[in-house]
Amino acid sequence: MRVSSLFHAAALGSGLLLGARPAQAGNEPHWPVAAIPAALRENAHVVVRQQDDIITVKSAGRLLHTVHCVATILDEQGDDWGQAVVGYDKLMQLSYLRGNVYDADGRLLRGLRAADTKDYSAHDGFSLYTDNRVRVADLRQSRYPYTAEFEYEVSTTNTLHFPTWRPQDEEHVSVEHATLRVVTPAELPLRYLEERLPSGSAVAKSQQGSQLVYTWQLQELPATELEPQSPPLEELVPTVYTAPTAFEVQGVRGDLTSWQGLGQWEYQLNQDRGQLSPETTAKVAELVKGIADPKERARRVYQYLQSSTRYVSIQLGIGGYQAFPASTVASTGYGDCKALSNYCMALLKAAEVPSYCALVGAGRNRAALRTGFPSNQFNHMILCVPLKQDTVWLECTSQSEAFGYMGAFTGGRQALLLTPQGGQLVRTPRYTTPDENRQFRRAEVQIDEQGHGRATVRTRSTGLQQDELSQVLHQLSADEQRKYVYKQLALPAVTIEQHALQPDLRGPRPAMTERLTLALPSYASRTGRRLFLTPNLLNRLPPPAPHVGARQAPLQLNLPFVDADTIRYRVPAGYKPESVPAPVQLRTAFGSYDAQTQVLPDGTVQYIRRLQMPAGRFEPKDYEAYEAFRQRISKADRAQLVLVQPES
Amino acid sequence: MKHVLRTTLLAAGLSALACLPARAQAPEPIKFGKIDSKDFDKAAFAGDSAANAVILCDYGRSRFDMGSQGGFVLVFDRVIRIKILKKAGYEWGDGAVMLYHKGADTEKLSNLRGFTYNLGANGEITKDKLETSAVFTEQVTGTLTRRKFTMPNVREGSVVEYAYTVTSDFLFNLQDWTFQHQVPTRWSEYRASIPEYFHYKQLWQGYEPLAVQERTDGSTQFVVRGSGGSVGGNWTTSHQGTSSQAVVAQVVNHRWATQNVPALREEPFMTTARDYVTQINFELEGVKWPNEAYRNVSGTWEKMQMELLNADEFGGQLNRGGFLKAQLSALTAQNPLAADRAAAVHALVRDNVKANGQTSLFSDAGIRKAWDQHQGNAADVNLLLIAALREAGLRAYPVILSTREHGRVDTNFPLLTRFNYVVAAVQLNDSTQVLADATEPFAPFGMLPAACLSSQSQGRLIQDAAHGSWVELNSPFRHVSYRSAQLTLDERGNLSGKLRDEQGGYRALQQRADLRQQGEKKYVENLLKQQQGWKIDKFAFQNTTTLTKPLMLDLDLRVPSEAEQPLGTIYLSLLQTLNEATNPFRLADRRFPVDFGARREETSMVTLALPAGYTVEEMPKNAVIDLPNGGGRFLFSVTPVGNSLQIMSRMTLNRSMYLADEYASLREFYERMLAKQAEKIVLKRKS
Repeated sequence: MRVSSLFHAAALGSGLLLGARPAQAGNEPHWPVAAIPAALRENAHVVVRQQDDIITVKSAGRLLHTVHCVATILDEQGDDWGQAVVGYDKLMQLSYLRGNVYDADGRLLRGLRAADTKDYSAHDGFSLYTDNRVRVADLRQSRYPYTAEFEYEVSTTNTLHFPTWRPQDEEHVSVEHATLRVVTPAELPLRYLEERLPSGSAVAKSQQGSQLVYTWQLQELPATELEPQSPPLEELVPTVYTAPTAFEVQGVRGDLTSWQGLGQWEYQLNQDRGQLSPETTAKVAELVKGIADPKERARRVYQYLQSSTRYVSIQLGIGGYQAFPASTVASTGYGDCKALSNYCMALLKAAEVPSYCALVGAGRNRAALRTGFPSNQFNHMILCVPLKQDTVWLECTSQSEAFGYMGAFTGGRQALLLTPQGGQLVRTPRYTTPDENRQFRRAEVQIDEQGHGRATVRTRSTGLQQDELSQVLHQLSADEQRKYVYKQLALPAVTIEQHALQPDLRGPRPAMTERLTLALPSYASRTGRRLFLTPNLLNRLPPPAPHVGARQAPLQLNLPFVDADTIRYRVPAGYKPESVPAPVQLRTAFGSYDAQTQVLPDGTVQYIRRLQMPAGRFEPKDYEAYEAFRQRISKADRAQLVLVQPES
Repeated sequence: MKHVLRTTLLAAGLSALACLPARAQAPEPIKFGKIDSKDFDKAAFAGDSAANAVILCDYGRSRFDMGSQGGFVLVFDRVIRIKILKKAGYEWGDGAVMLYHKGADTEKLSNLRGFTYNLGANGEITKDKLETSAVFTEQVTGTLTRRKFTMPNVREGSVVEYAYTVTSDFLFNLQDWTFQHQVPTRWSEYRASIPEYFHYKQLWQGYEPLAVQERTDGSTQFVVRGSGGSVGGNWTTSHQGTSSQAVVAQVVNHRWATQNVPALREEPFMTTARDYVTQINFELEGVKWPNEAYRNVSGTWEKMQMELLNADEFGGQLNRGGFLKAQLSALTAQNPLAADRAAAVHALVRDNVKANGQTSLFSDAGIRKAWDQHQGNAADVNLLLIAALREAGLRAYPVILSTREHGRVDTNFPLLTRFNYVVAAVQLNDSTQVLADATEPFAPFGMLPAACLSSQSQGRLIQDAAHGSWVELNSPFRHVSYRSAQLTLDERGNLSGKLRDEQGGYRALQQRADLRQQGEKKYVENLLKQQQGWKIDKFAFQNTTTLTKPLMLDLDLRVPSEAEQPLGTIYLSLLQTLNEATNPFRLADRRFPVDFGARREETSMVTLALPAGYTVEEMPKNAVIDLPNGGGRFLFSVTPVGNSLQIMSRMTLNRSMYLADEYASLREFYERMLAKQAEKIVLKRKS
């Protein structure tokens, strides 16, 4: 089972207990596979037989979470569930971890031994340093099916983050029975948000003495399978989010009943961390000298930040929520998102431009913020500069991002602005019309008698369509950039002769211009007197992913965009068109498509294609029409032109 | 291994206080803290536009000293200076040092210091110090610790510089040195001062020439303190207690350097970048104390073989197959022929014990436990295989090797650390020997995992402590695919018919693994993803578990056309429809060999029935494309037979490795083949 995701951050002290529970008397079988209902085996690699989560709130500053999970692993692909992975850190301790493994008939094979567990640094792949660690208990077997049972308890003093209950958090996993029980003092009532719970499984509340008890249960959830272009699994399966009313991290108490309260807490943690030395203040004054426009002042400060700092992730301090002081960043030139945002805010203050840090849930295609449920749904910090005309948002960890641009990583979502009055939800900029995210391309191609081609291509991409190119330019070496371009060129044979990327940050949205010179051996296929040519040089949309059976999930289109290609081919003299693809024009709710190939009077072949698609979510029943749309585009993108040389 | 030597040294009765430095030799290439203003001259980096950073100088020095606990220690000093050229090179502003410890023996980091240099507004050079608050310690495993640090104020144009010392109790491995990195290196220099007592073997690899290679003799004084009681005949002193004595030892001073080494680049079909990087490794070969005979502590294959065979985690497992007696005697009775019996034993082990994915030369759990628990590391599985083969009365021996990932073995140097894997060699009769591995659930007897194959490395067969030999790690199995189809074309351009895919050898191994992972339905869906326009009405797999036969997939296939009327002209590029392939060799040049691991063969045979009333107006010409020196061949033909066409396309690559200078012809071979397969057939309706 994979449990590390339950906790945002987690600590292990000393008392780790290992060892199996003694096998129960009578040797009666445990969790025999034969007892699994047939419907739960269908399409499943794993059947969660029983999962019991108990959250016990000890005080505003301490929480126990015990987990008992029994999972039958049906085949090798379910093997992750033969392991327990428990994260911990300075604030979170693992009290015990026990386990047993049973064969298909439910006979105990063995209990968890010390040799089955290992301890690792939980390196996240981008942090220079974190104190997060994981303990991994491994009961995987080579004979399937088998049943792994784990029990553990973690005790945390980081109560900002309560566990999320989602027993079915992967595809191909079915759930036989799962329960959640929360026990909390009456003065600290639980806050919760139920999503997609089947009828009858809503909360049951009771009071036992001074304790409030909340329970949920789920049963017989068949396995799911993610379909192409569907919303993420977390938006499709039953879930209960939990959160405290009041919390405390390393002695700092906060109120989570409102966004205002969470924002207040985070604001106060960092409010005394903005002092700058007189030298730095003087430097800023010099930077903005004679500039009256606050936006321009902010731009200068941001450029200075980008040229003098870099992003180094060091996750320490009040559970990772407190930033390094601005003066530290000024002297070392690096910091994580909190430190750099806080530093930039201090620099802007010195330039007399007010700004506010904001928490945001960063990530491409991340689920929307649950705005009605104040809780820690964030993993990143950015900076907001409110101006009279418009508001500017700054990504302070990037040395190359355009001033004010929020791409697919942070744009188009709610963020929590941290002000002296507390937190306030505001929306980051979004680029929702296709026209903001363009890819316009022009190419000239020369085809010789043998069908070999040479092309010069110029492509200008803007907005969200330039995000990836911008990363390629700024994060990859020249060699790796070339490899990336080769990968993008979906042609059977091609040599890149020249390649250049040029950013343009002047407009309202960043743009990137790519120039390519390509050698295209046998681009046109020659057989006898004929040349066969696919006019769509570089922008062929793949057909939709094949699928079997009726669509279950909604269709989600994430990127609103418009692509326009104009390609002109000079073909060998004397060749006449024998077959020219008919023009295609498609108009649907999912977008519009136009493609036309023309042979101009001077013999030049001109191909013009335009594809525009919106972002949006569509009903499952609409998927068939979407598939047909994609198929027709795919077909049209592959259409061929036939040229023939008259017999001499 | 490391531990053994430390004990030996203590037994030699040495404990000491201090030592005097070795005599000065060539001037050092870099002095920490002495920055050169040239490093801020843009023109000096005009040629490095493709690099994110440039290592200006990397200088290391290894020498021996007396440790505080008595006994020699190895002291390694390093200074490195790096020019950051681009933001993408900021990661070079972070450093890490890995430290090993085992028992009381440690590697200790000391004297870590660093500066970042920047050009100030007025052209002056500013410097910022690496603070201790920017140094972190991470416990990687029980025996490995990583010290990490991040340099202050790193920007485009910065020069970062750091230096440190590692003091090690592990004399077995003198610190190795890598002259080549992911970014260009202007100057890399390594020095090692080795006293007469220690004899190290040098192991070189790489493609870059040395700019300096020197060896001078000198002497060093070590101050040795007699340690009570244990002082024996190793040193001429017989003092007891705390008295100390100066001893002068002869020292060999080595100096190696490279200049302007280009960045190392990863390419497809290479074993591991480590095989190509220019570097030197050392291993202690022998020690020679005063008034004592030279003692070989490593050094010969016989010795290594003996050590392995004596190790409980290796040789100790080989004759413990007795617990399988019952199964094996039944199996032996059923299979009187050695080849059948060996295959049956192999199947028994393969099907009962699952390899857990850990590559190792040494058994972890032991073969008995691996059998009982049905799982183990690669050595558990293959040592069990050898033990079982022996128990079944067959001649079976371990063959140790290095996997592709781990890099090539140099047959001149008996270094155990260069091996990381073991397989079985079975002598079926006097002339037939088969290499076997039981870690792959879908590999038949005699097929090594693809990760073990290399044309550039060999395996060491260990017959007994005194007898070993080299075996080639190329496989009799190839990477084979055979696609046959009987298709019918109608007048609207619709194709329909039956198609059969047969996959053999390494291709089958890979496809069976995919099939298990994805299940039949997903596997076919993934096939459809690659084959645009296909519709599959029915599919059936054969031989999914009969490993000695090709994996077979039969499809009822349709490729519909959109035409609503019979067509006057039909254009058809059948093989492009059937093999949507691209050239795997995208980059125009290459520095290293192409190592496929196994030879390859790909064939397509199609019979196409033409619609009545149409004639072939044009069709591709038959073709033969050869690689130079018999390296491979592509054959293509279209033959009319009655009212149908027979189309045949076959690619054969006869070698598993092609040298870098054959790359251009290999790339062109693929290009021409793909172009040929894309050629069209043109049909015209008879008027």
